[in-house]
Amino acid sequence: MTTRFVEPTLLCDTEQLTLLGARCTACGTTTFPVQDTCPRCFVQEMVHRPLPTTGIVWSWTVQHFAPKAPYRALATGFTPYLLGYVDLGVVIVESRLVGSAENPPAIGDPVQLVVLPAFTDDDGTEVLTFAFTRTGEHT
Amino acid sequence: MSTDTDIYIVGVGLHEFGRFEGVSGLDMAEVAARRALDDAGLTWGEIGYAVGGSNVSGKPDTLVGRLGLTGISFPTVRNGCATGGLALATAANALRAGESETAMVIGFDKHPRGAFNPDPATYGLGDWYAETGMMTTTQYFALKTQRYLHDHGISLTTLGRVAAKAFTFAEANPFAWRRKPLSVEEILAAAPVNPPLTQYMFCSPNEGAAALVLTTGDRAHDLADHPVKLASVAVRTRTFGSFEVFAPWLAPGERSSPSVDAARAAFARAGVTPQDVQVAQLQDTESGAEVIHMAETGLCEHGEQEALLAARETSIDGRLPINTDGGCLANGEPIGASGLRQVHEVVRQLQGRAPGKQVPGSPRVGFTHVYGSPGTSACTVLTV
Repeated sequence: MTTRFVEPTLLCDTEQLTLLGARCTACGTTTFPVQDTCPRCFVQEMVHRPLPTTGIVWSWTVQHFAPKAPYRALATGFTPYLLGYVDLGVVIVESRLVGSAENPPAIGDPVQLVVLPAFTDDDGTEVLTFAFTRTGEHT
Repeated sequence: MSTDTDIYIVGVGLHEFGRFEGVSGLDMAEVAARRALDDAGLTWGEIGYAVGGSNVSGKPDTLVGRLGLTGISFPTVRNGCATGGLALATAANALRAGESETAMVIGFDKHPRGAFNPDPATYGLGDWYAETGMMTTTQYFALKTQRYLHDHGISLTTLGRVAAKAFTFAEANPFAWRRKPLSVEEILAAAPVNPPLTQYMFCSPNEGAAALVLTTGDRAHDLADHPVKLASVAVRTRTFGSFEVFAPWLAPGERSSPSVDAARAAFARAGVTPQDVQVAQLQDTESGAEVIHMAETGLCEHGEQEALLAARETSIDGRLPINTDGGCLANGEPIGASGLRQVHEVVRQLQGRAPGKQVPGSPRVGFTHVYGSPGTSACTVLTV
């Protein structure tokens, strides 16, 4: 099956799965996706940095209803999905979470970056996005 | 800018909130405007300035074609769910600047059923954010509430109590939309939308309009038996560290909030404290938002909401009744009208003529708070 990543500029490179952030050289604030100006100190000296690939669940929910367009579903149709915020230390990123509504994560659970099929293009191409999957439980 | 000009609200008008087939947003706005004029005992020809707000349902300044071509200045604002607050602030500032002695503020909207589906580009975001299912407003409220419950020891039962309170208030309010009382158990057992929030813990976009007539102090007491003073109105947008709608990332560390900043500014300008407030309206897009905003506006401490709701302190006979007309939860949310509905309710409470349940003991200090994406808050202090 043909696949593509939903937005290649979100990643460091296409070979290795790592999210691309921008770090302010003045105050250290890290943004995702990258941006040119620091929202904290307004300095325009941001450098691109790979983000950590592991973190902990900061918050989570389940999307129980199909969002309206421009949301796009897989060819198999909408099923409720997990999403949340993951604390990577330098920044907290919003992300889809791997798992089911019946078995949701808990705040504090450790997670690892993976790819997840998000939706299907008209020509059958499966479109991948970034997601985090649980590697253990909060202790 | 002179700030010593007192501003009063001398007339309020609502078009009922709900769904009205065949009635346009502008139709509803006209009804609300005429009701506010009647309430003030003024004609449109005596209004010297107007501000209108609608997010998606027409150009407010075209209302002059219906109300009368008097040639007045009529700016329009469009600030999401905070539109009503921004419209009121704009009108009050114009009166203080000497533009006129009278002003009208009109807000309205007519939304289709279901959650909003904004265009990512409008918010400066890539298509990927919406395509992969992360750009739904209900998710934001759920994610913020989920974390808040965790950080401050708030129970799901408290979320249920907030919604049950809203429907109890709405049952008595002829302007409200969802007027059937529901038990806490029914609310908690309802279909999940975005955990921890169920169907009845969310407000829905719907239709309606609201209008206010403002005057400077010299004229207010001639016009109204009980004019309500707009003791302050303050608007703030987000600062670094806030957690807002449509945020692909958050900064670790201390949280800020435009609601904290706007409320502080409003109380400081009015010369009152949150402890002085006797009736309040808070943005309750969902149950958790009301809980969070109680603390963000300074009306209680973080975590104190659990005990306050259990003791019914925010119900009609409590220490601080909140969202006494049913709030967004029971009225629904026509975005442009919502902030002005809040002011309408508090004005009528302070005048002792609430359309629904009247707060006992002749309250003298009221407060309103709206919040909208992408991180705007507007607060007022109203006094008699």
